[in-house]
Amino acid sequence: MNSLTETKRRPTDWQGAEMQKRIAGRYAAERRFKAMGMAAIALSAGFLGFLLVVMVGNGFLGFTQTELPVEIDFPAVTSGASPSQFQGPNAEANLQVMGLREIVNSSIEIQYGPEGTDLFSSGAWTAVSAKILADPDIVEQKTAVNLPVASALDVAYKDEGNPEAEAKVSELSGQFSTGFNWNFLSNSDATDPMQVGIWGAFKGSLITMIVTLMLAFPVGVLAALYLEEYAPKNRLTDLIEVSINNLAAVPSIIFGLLGLAVFLNFFGMPRSGALVGGLTLALMTMPVIVISGRNAVKSVPPSIREAALGIGASPLQVVFHHVLPLALPGILTGTIIGMARALGETAPLLMIGMRAFIATPPSGITDPATVLPVQIFLWSDEVDRGFVEKTSAAIIVLLLFLLIMNALAIYLRNRFETRW
Amino acid sequence: MTGATLLFLIIGLGLIAWFFGRLKAAGMQSGGKHSRSALHSLPNYHGWYVALWAILPAAIFLAVWSFASPALITDAALTSPAAAQLPQDAFARAAILSEARAIASGNQVNAFNPLSQSMVEPYRDAITYYQMIGTVAALLLVFACGVYAWLQIKPDLRARTKIERVTMLVLLLASLIAIVTTVGIFLSLVFESVRFFSMVSPIDFLFGTEWNPKAVAGPRGETGFGAIPLFWGTVFIGAIIAMIVAIPLGLMSAIYLTQYAPAKFRSWMKPILEVLAGVPTVVYGYFAALTVAPALRDFAVSIGISNASSESALAAGVVMGIMIIPFVSSMADDSIAAVPSAMRDGSLAMGATQSETIKKVLIPAALPGVVGGVLLAVSRAIGETMIVVMAAGLAANMTANPFSSVTTVTTQIVQLLTGDQEFDSPKTLAAFALGLVLFIVTLLLNLIALRVVKKYREAYE
Amino acid sequence: MNYDQKILEPNESVNMTDSATTAMNTESGTPKMTARHVDVFYGDKQAINDVSIDVNMDSVTAFIGPSGCGKSTFLRCMNRMNDTIPIARVTGEIKLEGEDIYASQMDVVQLRARVGMVFQKPNPFPKSIYDNIAYGPRIHGLATGKEELDEIVESSLQRAGLWGEVKDRLDDSGTALSGGQQQRLCIARAIAVDPEVILMDEPCSALDPIATAKIEELIHELRGKYAIVIVTHNMQQAARVSQKTAFFHLGTLVEYGETTDIFTNPREEKTRDYITGRYG
Repeated sequence: MNSLTETKRRPTDWQGAEMQKRIAGRYAAERRFKAMGMAAIALSAGFLGFLLVVMVGNGFLGFTQTELPVEIDFPAVTSGASPSQFQGPNAEANLQVMGLREIVNSSIEIQYGPEGTDLFSSGAWTAVSAKILADPDIVEQKTAVNLPVASALDVAYKDEGNPEAEAKVSELSGQFSTGFNWNFLSNSDATDPMQVGIWGAFKGSLITMIVTLMLAFPVGVLAALYLEEYAPKNRLTDLIEVSINNLAAVPSIIFGLLGLAVFLNFFGMPRSGALVGGLTLALMTMPVIVISGRNAVKSVPPSIREAALGIGASPLQVVFHHVLPLALPGILTGTIIGMARALGETAPLLMIGMRAFIATPPSGITDPATVLPVQIFLWSDEVDRGFVEKTSAAIIVLLLFLLIMNALAIYLRNRFETRW
Repeated sequence: MTGATLLFLIIGLGLIAWFFGRLKAAGMQSGGKHSRSALHSLPNYHGWYVALWAILPAAIFLAVWSFASPALITDAALTSPAAAQLPQDAFARAAILSEARAIASGNQVNAFNPLSQSMVEPYRDAITYYQMIGTVAALLLVFACGVYAWLQIKPDLRARTKIERVTMLVLLLASLIAIVTTVGIFLSLVFESVRFFSMVSPIDFLFGTEWNPKAVAGPRGETGFGAIPLFWGTVFIGAIIAMIVAIPLGLMSAIYLTQYAPAKFRSWMKPILEVLAGVPTVVYGYFAALTVAPALRDFAVSIGISNASSESALAAGVVMGIMIIPFVSSMADDSIAAVPSAMRDGSLAMGATQSETIKKVLIPAALPGVVGGVLLAVSRAIGETMIVVMAAGLAANMTANPFSSVTTVTTQIVQLLTGDQEFDSPKTLAAFALGLVLFIVTLLLNLIALRVVKKYREAYE
Repeated sequence: MNYDQKILEPNESVNMTDSATTAMNTESGTPKMTARHVDVFYGDKQAINDVSIDVNMDSVTAFIGPSGCGKSTFLRCMNRMNDTIPIARVTGEIKLEGEDIYASQMDVVQLRARVGMVFQKPNPFPKSIYDNIAYGPRIHGLATGKEELDEIVESSLQRAGLWGEVKDRLDDSGTALSGGQQQRLCIARAIAVDPEVILMDEPCSALDPIATAKIEELIHELRGKYAIVIVTHNMQQAARVSQKTAFFHLGTLVEYGETTDIFTNPREEKTRDYITGRYG
C-alpha cells in the first residue's frame, strides 16, 4: 500500500499566496459565469420586449386615423331629403340613389378647392353614409363631419411621409384631428390603406379554426384514449406512435404541400376555402392534441379505473364515464395550445391558395377566405407606407387573441389541475 | 339534394331509429314478462344498436358512391349527342369536361370554351340522375338496416358488447389517421417528385449548383434546378446563424434559471421566455424584415461592407435564433434536471465552485440530451418558412457572407407554388421535390435526436 | 496545464512520510473538528438541537441512530453541504482546526477540499476513472503537470485499494465499475484532494456484504491519515470500524464516547434500548 509515490505528497498549503490567488481567480470565473447567465436571460427577454415595443408602437397608430373636417350643407345639396328615407330596410338603397359620394366630393371641393378630393381617403364618403344611417336627422341640417384623409397625408401627419404630403400637412396644420379607426375592425382587405380592415381575415380565421377544431379535437381525443387505454402492444401501435411523434415535428409547410396535392388536386376541393385550410391545420394540430391528451389520460390514477372495473363497468364505460371526464381539463389545455399554434400558422395556408385578395368576408367554409396571419403577410408585402401601421395593428390583434387563448389554457391548467 | 342535406337526413333518421330501438327494449324491460336482469344491456344500448345499423351502412355507401359516381357521370355525359363534337385530344377533352362539370355543379358561372357550355346540359342531367340513385339507395339502406336491427332486439341481445366493439373500431380508426397522414405526406411528395425527376435528373437536382427556375426553357433538357445553393442557404441560416444565437442564449438561460435563479424569479421568467416560442412566425418575419434587416444593413455599411443586402442571411438567421431560444432552453433545462443531484453534490463536496460543477460535471453529463435538443431545434429551424420568406432573399447565392442574401428551401417552395402556375410544369413539381428533401432531412434529424435523448434518459433511470 | 507552482521546502520533501503528515496534523489529543451548540433548521422545522461534539484525528467516529435522527444532517453541516439547500439554516459553531467554518471569511470551496465527503449512493461522474480522480486536483490546482497528476491519481487509487483492479483501464467510464468499486472510486476521488477529514454518509448502504467488507477494511487503513466520520445505521459496522461512537436521537446527541463503552456499557437508557434493538 505505501508505495514510494505516495510518500511524496505533502499537505496542501491552502493559505499560501499562490493558492489564495488561484481561489480568487476561481471565484471571479464563478461571477463571470453567473453574469453570463443573467445576460443571456436579459438578452432573451429584451428581444421579446423590443419586439413587442416595436409592434405596439407601430400598430397603435393603425387603430387611429387622421381626419379633416368637411362641412356638408345637406339641405342645399340633397334637394330636400327627409330623414324618413334613411330609416328602415330601404335606407342604404336610398343613399345610393341620392348619390352620396358625389355630394361628399362636391362638399370637399367647395371647402378645399378643386384638388380637395385628393386630400381625402377614397372611401371617405362611407363615413358620412354611416353617420346618416346612425342619425338620419342630420340630412336636414348643415353639419361638419370629420372625414379620414388620404393615406399619404395620414402617414405624413402621424410620422414622416413624402415631402409633398408633408407640405400639405404643414399647410393645413391645426385643422387635423385624430379619430378611432372603426373601419379597421369592420372592413376587409382593400387597396387603400385607409380603408383596410381585419374583419374579413378575422372571420376567415374563425371559420378555419372551427373546421380545425371540429376535426382535430374528436380525432385527437379518441386517438389519445385508444393509445393510452386500449392499444395492444404490437407493431401497429408502435407505428401509430412513431407517426404521431413524427407528425408533431414535420415542418408546417409540408402539411401545406400535402393539402395542395391531396385536398386540392386529388379531391378537387375548392381552392382558398376555409374548408381546405381547416383540414390542413387539423392534420397539423391533431398530433399536438393526441400527445397532450395522452399525458392527461396517463395522469388519471389507476385506482380510479380499478374502482370502476371493480363494480362491473366495462372497459369502455370506465374510460368514458371516469377517465375522460377527469382528463378533460388537461386535454382542453393541450387543445387550446394546439389551436393557438394553428391560429398563428401561415406557411401551409399559402400553399393552398389562402393568400388571395379577399375584399368580402367569407360566409361559408368553401368561400375564398384568408386568415389573420396571412393577411399580415400580405400587408407586409405592400409598398404603400400606410400599410406598415396596419400590419402592426393586425399583429397586435393576432397577439391579443393568442394571449387570451394561452391565458385560458393556463387558467384551465391551474384551476383543474389535480394532484393525485 | 346535396350531400350535406342527405347526411343530416340520415342522421335524423338514425335518431328516430335510436328512439324506436330504445322503446322496444324498454318495453321488454318493464313488460313484467321479463325481469330487469333478463335484459342483457340497458335500453340505451339497444337504441344505439339500431341507430348505428341505420346510419353506418348508408354512410359507408355514400362515401363509396361519392368516389364512384363522378366516373359514372362522365361516362353518361359522354354518351350524349353533344359529346360528339368534343376534340379527340385527351388533354383538351379533359379540360372541357372539367369546366362543364364545374358549371353544372354550380362552382363556376361562365364557360371560357363554348364547347363546355354545350356539355353542361348533359352533365347536369347525369348529375341529377346519379344523385337520385344515390339518395334513394342510401335511404333504402337506412330503412332496411334499421328495421333489421330493430327486429333483432331481444332481451339477450348483447347490444352493449356490440356497441363497444364498434366504438373500439372508431377509436382505432381515429388513431390510424396519424399513419394515413404520414403515408399521405410521403406518397404525395414522392409521387410529385417522381414526375419532377422524370423531367430533371435527380443528380442535377441534388448536386447542381445553379438554381434559376425562371430560366427554364422547354419541357426537356431543363437546367437551373440545382438545389445546392438552396441547401446551403438553409443550413447557413437555420443551422449556423440561428444556432449561434440560440445555443448560447438558450443554454445559458437554462443554466441560470435552473442553477442560480431564486425560485420566484424562475417561476416568472420561464413563462416569459416561453412566450417567445408562442409568437407566430409571421410576426417574427415582419419584425425581421421591418426592424432587424435594415438595422443590420446600416451597421454593415457603417463598418464598410458596401454590398450588404437588406435581405441578409444574418437578419433572418438572428431572428430565427431568437425564436428557437425557448426551445433550446427548455430542452437544456430538461436534460440538466435529469442529471442526478448526487452528481452535483459529489462535485460540490470536492470543493468545486458552482460554475465548475456546471461546466465540468453537469453539462458533460447532460450533453447527449442537450445535443438531442439542438438537433430538434435545427430540424425546426430548417423547416421554418415565414421568417425566411419575409426576411431572406430570393437570390440563390453560395456565399458565407452573412450580410449578403441567400435563399432557402422553404422560401423557394413558397416562391414556386404561389401565383398562377400550371400544375405539370417542372417549376411547380420542383417544390415537391424540395419538400421531399426537407421532409426526409427533418425526419432523420428527429429520429436521431429522439434516439439520443431516449438513450440519455435511460442512462439515468 | 497551468497549475500554480508550489514551493517545496527542502526538509519537507525528505521527511514528508505518512507518519510525519499524521503527526503534524494531529498533535495528538487536540480535536480536528469541534462543534459547539449546533442547531439546524429546515424552514421552521428544527432538525438538530444543540449538538456539541469533537472529532479526533486518530480515530474513526461513527454516528448512529434511527433514521431521521439528524445524523446525516449534522454530517452535511460539517462541510457546509447544507448550503445547497436554500431553506437550511445553521447556528452554533463548528470549527476546523480552530477556524469557524461558518465564519464569513471561511471559503466554502477550500473548506470542502479540506473536509471531503463520500455519499450514500456511489456517485462517480460520467467520466473516465482517471478523470474522476483527477477532477479535484485539477479544479484546485494541486498538480503542476501531467506527471504529478498521474502520481496523485495512482496514489489515490492505491490508497483506496482500487489500483490493482483498474490500473489497466483508467480510460473506462467510472460508471462502468461495480457498485463497490464505484464507492471506492468515490473515496479515492475524495482522497485525491488530500483532505484532512473525510465524511462518509452511510457509504455501504447501497452495497453487498463483500463490497461492504472491502470498504470497512479501507476505512481501517485510512485511519490515522485522515479524521474519518462515518454515518451508519448498521450497528455492527459502527462497532467494527469506529473507535468513537455518537448516538443521535430526534436531532439531539444522546451519548458520545468510546465505541467499546457505548456498545458494552452505555450510560443512557435510550442508547441501550437502541443498541439492543428495542426500536430503530
